[in-house]
Amino acid sequence: MESKFTEMYQKEPADEKDGACGQVADLLDSVVDGEASAEEQSFFNSHLEECVSCFENHQKQKLLKSLISGHLKRVIVPESLALTIKAKIQETI
Amino acid sequence: MSEQTGKQLSKEEKDARFEAELLPVLDPLYNFAYRLTLDEDDANDLVQETYLKAYRFFDYFEQGTNAKAWLFRILKNSFINEFRKKSKQPAKVDYSEVEGYYNTEDVEGDNGVATTTDMRSESVQDLIGDEVASALNTLPVDFRTVIILCDLEGFTYEEMAKILDIPIGTVRSRLHRARNSLKEKLEKYAKTMGYNS
Repeated sequence: MESKFTEMYQKEPADEKDGACGQVADLLDSVVDGEASAEEQSFFNSHLEECVSCFENHQKQKLLKSLISGHLKRVIVPESLALTIKAKIQETI
Repeated sequence: MSEQTGKQLSKEEKDARFEAELLPVLDPLYNFAYRLTLDEDDANDLVQETYLKAYRFFDYFEQGTNAKAWLFRILKNSFINEFRKKSKQPAKVDYSEVEGYYNTEDVEGDNGVATTTDMRSESVQDLIGDEVASALNTLPVDFRTVIILCDLEGFTYEEMAKILDIPIGTVRSRLHRARNSLKEKLEKYAKTMGYNS
């Protein structure tokens, strides 16, 4: 019943921390973007419970994403733009 | 509400649907154009051109599908085909080189993460408010694009792959490199402001 993903990680020797950290680092983007599969997410979460460094990296990655989504100012669309577009469309028909 | 797909629309129907389905995307589309061109007039031109093309090809747009992704794709192509031609900036960065490092380099390893800048504190967040925009603007346009599409506009990797005409694997690796680059710039800034251990 084990998927390839689970097998892959189970093959990792328990003491090979760098390998697991590397795999978690590769999953960082997928996890913060909500693109990780359930298995990936669960592997990621269990590793974070025991690895402070990966936990901190995850916090940083979430912060980076929130800086863009929450702090980047949106530019205001010129009021006339929608009207200009409609007018141009009528002209070109 | 009959399905109009594959059927010629009357001008009235077309105008009504165009206005109802595509014009609401004006705000995100203009913001995307501005982040690509970094110029309000150019963003204005690019958005107008995008809507004109969208109107011309509106019969090919399937009602109920993702209008936002469709418009972003048209805008991105217009930007590449025409805007980049006009501006004499070098348009291409060879990502085959940088993308090759993905999965072979522990980017979160000893170098980057050893810095212990506490970016979580509120004061740092306040300080880097506008810095986020300027750091983002210094990134190569392809890096900037994936960050905007993903983090500002909330597109999925699959949607981004369609908008950018690249495989999902390339979306992932480009986003990864783009974020590392942005992180580096912001951490450098935080350090210059004394927020460092």
